[in-house]
Amino acid sequence: MSRRSYLSWAMLLFVCLLSALALAQQTGEPQSAPAFHNDVVIKGGTILTVTHGKIENGSIYIHNGKIAAVGQSVQAPANATVIDATGKFVMPGLIDSHSHIALDDDVNEATNPVTPHMMMKDAFDYNDKMIYRALAGGVTTSLLLHGSANMIGGQAIVIKHKYGLGRDEMLFPGAPQSIKFASGENPKRVYGQRNQLPSTRMGNFEVMRAAFTEAREYMRQWDDYDAKVKKGDKDATPPKKDLRLEALADVLRGKLLVQIHCYRADEFLTEMAIAKEFGYKIRAFHHALEAYKVADKIAANGVAIATWPDWWGFKYEAWDGIPWNAAISAHKGVRVALKSDSEDVTRRLNQEAGKAIHYGLTEDEALKAITLNPAWIIGVDERVGSIDVGKDADISIWNSYPLSSTALVDKVLIDGDVYFDRSLPGYGLTHYKEVQ
Amino acid sequence: MSNKFLILLLLLLALVATAGAQSKKPKSASAAASTPTTNAATNQTIALKGGKLLTITHGVIENGVVVMQNGRITAVGGPGTAIPAGARVIDVSGMTVYPGLIDSETHLGLTEVSADRMTNDELEPSDEIMPHMHVYDAFHAETAVIPVTRINGITNAIVAPASGDTLPGQDSFIQLAGPSAAEMLTVRDIAMPLNFTGQQRRNQSFESAKFPFTRMGMATQLRQAFIDALDYDQKLAAYEKKKSSSDEKEKGGAPPKRDLKLEALLPYLHGKKPVVLSAEQPNDLLTALDLANEFHLKVILNHVTHSASLVDKIAATGFPVIVGPIYEQPKEDERYDAVFKMPAELAKRGVKIAFASYDAHNSRNLPYAAGYAVAFGLPPEEALKALTINPAQMWGVDKDLGSLDVGKMGNVVVANGDPLDVKTDVKHVFIDGQEIPLVNKQTQLRDQYWK
Repeated sequence: MSRRSYLSWAMLLFVCLLSALALAQQTGEPQSAPAFHNDVVIKGGTILTVTHGKIENGSIYIHNGKIAAVGQSVQAPANATVIDATGKFVMPGLIDSHSHIALDDDVNEATNPVTPHMMMKDAFDYNDKMIYRALAGGVTTSLLLHGSANMIGGQAIVIKHKYGLGRDEMLFPGAPQSIKFASGENPKRVYGQRNQLPSTRMGNFEVMRAAFTEAREYMRQWDDYDAKVKKGDKDATPPKKDLRLEALADVLRGKLLVQIHCYRADEFLTEMAIAKEFGYKIRAFHHALEAYKVADKIAANGVAIATWPDWWGFKYEAWDGIPWNAAISAHKGVRVALKSDSEDVTRRLNQEAGKAIHYGLTEDEALKAITLNPAWIIGVDERVGSIDVGKDADISIWNSYPLSSTALVDKVLIDGDVYFDRSLPGYGLTHYKEVQ
Repeated sequence: MSNKFLILLLLLLALVATAGAQSKKPKSASAAASTPTTNAATNQTIALKGGKLLTITHGVIENGVVVMQNGRITAVGGPGTAIPAGARVIDVSGMTVYPGLIDSETHLGLTEVSADRMTNDELEPSDEIMPHMHVYDAFHAETAVIPVTRINGITNAIVAPASGDTLPGQDSFIQLAGPSAAEMLTVRDIAMPLNFTGQQRRNQSFESAKFPFTRMGMATQLRQAFIDALDYDQKLAAYEKKKSSSDEKEKGGAPPKRDLKLEALLPYLHGKKPVVLSAEQPNDLLTALDLANEFHLKVILNHVTHSASLVDKIAATGFPVIVGPIYEQPKEDERYDAVFKMPAELAKRGVKIAFASYDAHNSRNLPYAAGYAVAFGLPPEEALKALTINPAQMWGVDKDLGSLDVGKMGNVVVANGDPLDVKTDVKHVFIDGQEIPLVNKQTQLRDQYWK
């Protein structure tokens, strides 16, 4: 029997099993959101809570998709579904704060250096298997960003990796809106090759200043109009609604979390100066390979970084990348996240965190770097990123200590429901039905 | 001799001595690439005492001793092993000691900044058949990338051209330290890559179409090149025969016009050196194996990432396999771990496997790929072999490398834990029996800013 037909048979068998369990199945159609398993208890594992240390042989009680209790022992109804995690490690689902999966080839609207009105949701391919492969690596939440061709790119989406569900069921409800900015080599290369502005770093930053200056003028026109209307001026004509300027105005109004692709020390400083000049806040510098050179200044501005543990040398602005970047930055007070920006690395963020320990990060910081800190960057740290009462029950269960080369994900729960189980045949998915 | 003259002479001597000493010091991180600062006496005997020895060939020795002298390992054993008088004894208690790791495919010395074309010499894309390209002609010994790589315990590597051509050139085997390129390139033209993954087609668009546009084109072009080389070989042989003929009438005649491209293929067509045969999916692997069979090539397989359905057939060929990159994405219909499991599946069937980083800047992460294969079922001792003795045997350098055995080269690593784990920190690296300072461009930046 070929591997493929074996897989198909395994899937078929599995599907029958699921039907027997009376879970809704519709061939070729996205599954509706599962009814919450009202009560689930994960028992017997070593719990890495992220916020309050390690609990050996601990338990987590999940009620209505939320963490209801955590501790050495928990009170739970007798009919709660029990997941035995004896000998295993239990930690929050991993969070990737920089990803471009599930966008097919629609990452960069590289036709203008300022495209803040592009909405990644419009390109979101919720069937992309990458969502599944990251889930199998323990990832439960990702920030899907516009690319770095434009100085001001589009607006991101935050997803939960509920692979097998429909598009809207995969969006993180209530997550704040992020916008992607870039800087340095990518914009100047993309537009410079066409002999357009920007083709230098001077051009890069000028494009930004011009855009925000224009947005300020646009806001002023609307303010004037609103004032006239308020005064009862019935002849007042509204300015033309402009999606691009609206989006920039939202940056200036502080409605969007600003995520900036930036490598070089001098550029962090310029970005922070421009943000100050126009009065918006930067949430995080992404890639941030030279953060260690000006970490105190980044920390003082309350900006986080989302970086890789060890990428370097792939372009000139990555030449001074060092694997101690995360540790030095954290040491100087910067909130540090480890992200993937890669279809490969998003499947093994746990290894990346382990590597960061090798390069000087403490175990606590390394754990935070793939859970709570990226949650903060995305603006969902009140909801996910640690094992705390009241948070969404997004949990990964590992066969051994997760921050190592050799750990494997056994199960992943999102909102209290199992979405991935390695012991299952086929893909190991519980809410996915292969389209025949 | 006047006192003045004597003083002048002494001063001069002192000056020369200091200048000499200074010239041995690396002036910058990049200079450190080719000239590791060695112990004052390069022939100093070094004894590593008290470590857990992963010998690879004869098990694990707790609380062991390794002695290196004149660049070679002269003793490996338990706590009672004699340490020669005058040796520099390094206490490595609680540490793990293992042979230097071998990366079976890298682009070390062929690239500096990936996006800057002027610093890249990885591929000659003007033609698909370029066996006469020799990576040693481009190998940049002073690259900043090699010192970054070796401080994680990688001491030897294959340097290969990139895989964009069917025959992109010939590989060299390197040592990751040495006075200059001449010493670091320990085996030149050790093998020839033969890529058949579909990526070598010139099929970007119909507008820019160029032969070979298809796999048929690739295979036919390659077959023709081999036939041309065999034909050239016959002409050469005929000329040689004529030249040595006793019949004066037979003698003479012009030799065939020398053709570097065809000449480069001959050692491989004679089966004297291995061809590194790259294929990923099953159909490509079968076509490539047919070609290898047709021309009696000595084969090392490479990649086979999506050929899970052919693992038994691969095992039956008896060919060793460079596995990976195991981080490659599975095909659309494959389970998430289809590629991660390949090393385990091959090793289980007795295939000799070796790992490769297929990288330069992060070749230092080679052992973690092996560790990840362990997560997906490869026994840890097999994973370690696939970084040491297996590649040493595959590349024909096992007399010198791949295990902690007396007589082998002093390429030895000391680390604070499991070599395969991401958290492990390498504490000492010895190449050719000499300690390599754990210093590079990156550690210098770290030390400058981590205050």
